[in-house]
Amino acid sequence: MPENGNYMIAAYILGGVILVGYALSLYLRTRRSLRP
Amino acid sequence: MRMLRVGRWITAIALLLLVGVYVRALVFTPVERMQGLAQKIYYLHVPAAIWTETAMVLVGIASVFYLFLKDPRLDRFAAASAEVGVVFAAVVLTTGPIWGKPIWGTWWSWDARLTSMLFLFLLYVGYLLLRSAVADPATRARYAAVLGICGMGLVPFIHFSVYLFRTLHPMPIILKPSAPSMPGSMVATALFSVGVFTLLYVGFVVQRYALSYLREQLEAAGEVGHA
Repeated sequence: MPENGNYMIAAYILGGVILVGYALSLYLRTRRSLRP
Repeated sequence: MRMLRVGRWITAIALLLLVGVYVRALVFTPVERMQGLAQKIYYLHVPAAIWTETAMVLVGIASVFYLFLKDPRLDRFAAASAEVGVVFAAVVLTTGPIWGKPIWGTWWSWDARLTSMLFLFLLYVGYLLLRSAVADPATRARYAAVLGICGMGLVPFIHFSVYLFRTLHPMPIILKPSAPSMPGSMVATALFSVGVFTLLYVGFVVQRYALSYLREQLEAAGEVGHA
């Protein structure tokens, strides 16, 4: 079986960072819009 | 604002379930013999691709209806779906090459599937830039609707490109007329991930829709620039 687990880990980390980063960006943008 | 709270809750639950997808894929799903652990990238890459294509089709449908009905809610939804589609496309375009390197021996190939997916991503980045460049809301919505409809036309081409051209990209394993070409436990993990991405899409779009609404209110009050 090929040893390529590091590629899987990299993909999972990058995918997670993109999705969590976008969720955070939405949170910050809406908070800024709600600020009086 | 109730819609915003609902969107945040859905997103939070979806992100927690995404951790569940990772755990299920790593611990409870068998390792594919030929591809090794890199095959598990599939559980992130494919659901993101399915929801990229769906998001762009929904942009196109909302845009068609907007041109007839001129309802700002349709334009707001199209803008939200396009932005979320771009984020999912970014996941597809980063995880794909990471899988390609150990399996194909190259990060990228300019074949029909990969190139058309990159084109779709760039087209919707252009869509978002267009929206931020036009100040008048009615003109912005009309121009964006036309571009959104053009983008929708690209989606069937992307999906069927693996049948129409000789590509490095594998044929569909689940989204095809015949039975899935993988064991039941792998299909279950893939479907679980598709469900989580569905929830992520809904949570993100609801929040992004609420953000557009908030910005329109501020814009009407003359406090900020356009969304």
